[in-house]
Amino acid sequence: MQYQYTSEQSEFKDSLRKFVQDHYDYESRRHLAKEGNGYKAEYWQQLAELGVFGLPFAEEFGGLELDLGYLMGVAEEFGRGLVLEPMFPVLALAGRLLAAGDNAELKNELIPSLIGGELLIALASEEKASRGNPLIMATSVKAEGGELVINGEKHAVYAAPQASQYLVTAKDESGAVKVLLVAADAAGVTATEYQTVDGARASNLRFDNVKVPASASLFSGDAAASLELVIDEALLVMGAEAVGLMDQLMAITGEYLQTRKQFGMPIAAFQALQHRYADMYIACEKIRSLMWGALQTVGTAEFAESAAMLKAEIGKSGRYLGQQAVQLHGGIGMTDELSVGAYFKRLTAMDLILGGRDYQLSRLIKIRKAA
Amino acid sequence: MSTTDQSVDLESFRQEVRAFLETAPTPEILEAGRKTTSVFAPFKETMAWQKILNDKGWVAPSWPQEYGGTGWNIQQRYIFTQECNRRGVPPLLPQNIQMVGPAVLGFGTDEQKAEYLPKMLSGEDFWCQGYSEPGAGSDLASLKCRAESDGDDYILNGSKTWTTYGHHANKMFALVRTSTEGKPQQGITFLLLDMGLPGMEVRPIIGLDGEPEQCEVFFTDVRVPKRNRIGEENQGWTVAKYVLEFERGGSTFGTFLVPAMEQLHAVCDTPDASGNRLSDDPILSYKLAELDIDIRAVEHNEKRVNANLKHGENPGPMASLLKIMGTEVMQRFSELQLEVAGLAGLPLQNDALVVGSNVAPIGEESALLAMPYYLNTRAASIYAGSNEVQRSLLAKAALGA
Repeated sequence: MQYQYTSEQSEFKDSLRKFVQDHYDYESRRHLAKEGNGYKAEYWQQLAELGVFGLPFAEEFGGLELDLGYLMGVAEEFGRGLVLEPMFPVLALAGRLLAAGDNAELKNELIPSLIGGELLIALASEEKASRGNPLIMATSVKAEGGELVINGEKHAVYAAPQASQYLVTAKDESGAVKVLLVAADAAGVTATEYQTVDGARASNLRFDNVKVPASASLFSGDAAASLELVIDEALLVMGAEAVGLMDQLMAITGEYLQTRKQFGMPIAAFQALQHRYADMYIACEKIRSLMWGALQTVGTAEFAESAAMLKAEIGKSGRYLGQQAVQLHGGIGMTDELSVGAYFKRLTAMDLILGGRDYQLSRLIKIRKAA
Repeated sequence: MSTTDQSVDLESFRQEVRAFLETAPTPEILEAGRKTTSVFAPFKETMAWQKILNDKGWVAPSWPQEYGGTGWNIQQRYIFTQECNRRGVPPLLPQNIQMVGPAVLGFGTDEQKAEYLPKMLSGEDFWCQGYSEPGAGSDLASLKCRAESDGDDYILNGSKTWTTYGHHANKMFALVRTSTEGKPQQGITFLLLDMGLPGMEVRPIIGLDGEPEQCEVFFTDVRVPKRNRIGEENQGWTVAKYVLEFERGGSTFGTFLVPAMEQLHAVCDTPDASGNRLSDDPILSYKLAELDIDIRAVEHNEKRVNANLKHGENPGPMASLLKIMGTEVMQRFSELQLEVAGLAGLPLQNDALVVGSNVAPIGEESALLAMPYYLNTRAASIYAGSNEVQRSLLAKAALGA
């Protein structure tokens, strides 16, 4: 039963911690979030050299084929340092979905350049009406004269403005889920790019009769199960990021409580605030435990349930912890100048993407009923 | 309409207010109302609205009639705020009418009243508050900004922070330290000053939503005439306390929350392209119903406190209760509004939020405000006496300790 990183995983994780410490003081992060395309190509290349992008892929593509714990360790360090490089959408979502596909030609073409850091690819799965359920989609794909024609709209596609290729989910005429490779500059694609509240870059994408060859389909059959599984596994990576964020937020807040003085004493002397901090500690440990618990069920029938529980708890405890970290800092916690607000905003965004607490709860009810 | 008679016909009063609000605000003012993402509405349009209200004689319902008040009773005042929020006009910035005005009304000389009050009402002057300091937040009495006596002047050194809209203001009311003798509360003086005096520097602070709303203000040997003092030297704490108590029973969270919740219900009840409504989701409708209860409780708390207040009475510890409940229900509302917006809450859209920018929002306009409002509303449990301080006051009063 794994409740901590193995020594190999820790070693890899430590190398990432060093990378983050070297590059991510809050001031430079603040500028990076606001300027240009929101990440540094130079850092992306360094992450490739550190081997991060090879983690989930088979050796035949030049990957390291290591288990999820490694990627979780990376995410935890990224969370701690509020790293903006889009590892999560590119690798944990799009990259791992690519690895799950059965279109060998496509994989051979894309995976090596992803590992090398040359390719950035984004997963376009969420829609306005899907409300977190990746299998509810209005986007359609139709076969027409040897080509596939895509119509629909995707929202909050993280890393889309930085990516040259998208993996787009769509339903075919039989209702099966398809995953299609679409170039960002393909005819009929309209992207509305924006900066997100958590400092990332995302797009809303419209597909108007976008034509791709039949060979652009990543799965020969129905991709529904693979899509759900990859997203659930990505939720574990997100859980690790949340743990990194929360650990750092606890450290920052704890230090503030001990140094900020009001009424002639450190505010940590006030019992109301001590209890609040204890509740935050509990919130943090709940997510950490649910994360390790979920990792233990990977590959079993219980995995969907434990992933949904983890994500639902991020929506509750993560939000609570972020809010209270701001509250305990008072006015200064409300500013862009202190990192506390940035941690709070990332935790806020986590509940909005890939199915919030409400969706995960409804999913848990369904899983229980089906059992 | 100038009666303090309790038997005044509230329904016809409501109709009169509605009729005025129907035509008085310009499209820009209404746009500013829609684009209000915190307690502090967009500056320019809100001041334009203040001028219109002043021309009508309705700008300061809580003031004595001889100085420009309306003579309305407390129920009428609640109805007025309710109808303003229902119409969607921006709330007036509280600094002039609710914060500095009462200090001058209560402690100013006739000369000071004649000099300052008319321009507070018209909005020709806009006042900012210089209370908090980096080291004096919840513990306001520990403030250090020093005012040294020098002939007919004070010389100010130190700094103020969380000065809302300091970058828009031409005047400031401040609490400064004139003595270090005795208890900290005893050496504080209430002072009025012009912004932009030699030695003053204003630095806007960028908030969580990416916009400057608060400012820091630095003073280096800033000379302020003593005739700008309100009340006696070292009596500033008494003036500040009087201001806090002036808006007796003035809590109006319910007037904002009720129409805001109606709008949120409307969004949830609107079917999408495939005929699905968010309110069909049992989990979301459960949350909506829970919030309905809390909002109803806030509304009736406020009305009950108002109804039971005799003229001139102070709500006492109930003021703390109303502040805690009002702000925390507002925060819960902001959370639910964000959940309803979902993915549409993610884009930063500061350009689209500028009044008159004509920048189309990404997604629905109803979702445009959800995130900045959620972020800004976290301040509600921090400002005006943190909810922790308010809970201590409430417990102390309730326990009789």
